[in-house]
Amino acid sequence: MTVLQPFVWGRSMADHFLKIRGLEKSYAMGVIKVLNGLDLTMTSKDRLVVIGPSGGGKSTLLRCIMGLENIAAGAIDINGEPYIGADNGATRIDRRIQKQIGMVFQSYTLFPHLNVLKNLTLAPVRSRGVPRSVAEDRAREIMRRFGLDQKLTAYPSELSGGQKQRVAIARALMLDPKLMLFDEVTSALDPELVSEVIAMIIELADGGMPMMIVTHDMWFARRIATRVVFCAGGTIAEDAPPEEFFARPTSQRARDFINNVLHANAEPA
Amino acid sequence: MQNLDYFFIIQAWPLFLKGLWVTLYLTFWANVAGLIGGALLALCTTGPYRLLSAPAKLYIEFFRCTPALVQIVWFFFCVPILFDVFWSPIFMGVVILGMNLSAFNAEAFRAAIQTIPRAHVDAAVALGLTPFERTAYVIMPQALRYAIPVLITNGIGLFQQTSLVALVGVDELMYNGRLISTSTYRPIETYTFLVLFYLAVSIPIGRLAAFIEARSDRALKA
Repeated sequence: MTVLQPFVWGRSMADHFLKIRGLEKSYAMGVIKVLNGLDLTMTSKDRLVVIGPSGGGKSTLLRCIMGLENIAAGAIDINGEPYIGADNGATRIDRRIQKQIGMVFQSYTLFPHLNVLKNLTLAPVRSRGVPRSVAEDRAREIMRRFGLDQKLTAYPSELSGGQKQRVAIARALMLDPKLMLFDEVTSALDPELVSEVIAMIIELADGGMPMMIVTHDMWFARRIATRVVFCAGGTIAEDAPPEEFFARPTSQRARDFINNVLHANAEPA
Repeated sequence: MQNLDYFFIIQAWPLFLKGLWVTLYLTFWANVAGLIGGALLALCTTGPYRLLSAPAKLYIEFFRCTPALVQIVWFFFCVPILFDVFWSPIFMGVVILGMNLSAFNAEAFRAAIQTIPRAHVDAAVALGLTPFERTAYVIMPQALRYAIPVLITNGIGLFQQTSLVALVGVDELMYNGRLISTSTYRPIETYTFLVLFYLAVSIPIGRLAAFIEARSDRALKA
């Protein structure tokens, strides 16, 4: 099976697309607990925006779902299949399922020694056995779709921050992911470059891509989310549709957070 | 002061050239060995396996913390006896110089590997690359570019260090120079010429190195 053919997830189970149970993660030999028995489910129709104070575990949550972290306890299932589990201190990861998930990071992660086309085709060609010509055709198609086809032979150092992040998203799309994770992808960008990246993510969302987004941009959160979850103290403190969440947060912590953020947005220092 | 006479050098020319050839041969193959050995050692020291990293670190410390001349002498006298192997002096020279250079190049590679942002590795994992694929296509190509300036410095240093194996009878440039000087009773002219010979090779290599360095710098501007 090549990655270019659509992967068929389990037939039913749409409401258990992603199911996280009792996820625990700590650093420094268990001294610092970042995730504290976190439970979360997501359907394949969901676009989940994760917001919350820094240190609350948002990024760690995404990194755990991507399989970048060892977990202390808990499990993640995808479509009813066990994906990640803790097993006597070891973390079991089903690599086959991991390959169906794409992630884009806050810092620029394009490989600087490869041009854009090579960045896009590296994983399909070297890791998934897609013929180079097929992968390059797909790269051109994706880049054209997002208006980046002028940049195929450019090196990452020749791109703006916004272009780098858009290429990073395109690189993840090359592998035909069934779930996209965005970890503060606009936080490192100059303000005038944010909108082009957000536009690309919105276009993906409109195409029906399930996604989980960590962001501090409340406008973006409101625009794209089908659900907003408030992550603080290593658990989900609140989980609601965006209208409801921003209008009437039920927990005190979420209320404080929103007040602070909206206040900061209204009156920039 | 005695009269200086440089004309006899013309007669000694073939012997000089033969020595230079051996010196270049040693330099080239020891550098090949040093690049491969250094890269492998660096992968061991930066990798997650203690069983590999501990001996690799020990190896590097050993070769960096003992004089090259002592290593060479020990190697030439002890290895044939201890291991009952008899290789040609030139091959022995390549091996010991390559082993020494590996330790220094390993440090250059290790430093380069550690400058690669952690996020690149995360991204490579997210793209589904296996540990081997990450190393081969993401980490080492970048590390090589970062390490080039130091690798070249080490390589030129090794060119000069090849003169040490003259002491154990490898007939390279220094050895032949000494031969000429003792047979002609003209040490001043011979050794002066010898220094010029080393210079004449080192300087162009250094220039070439600077050129390669500038090019790879451009390719890595992030």
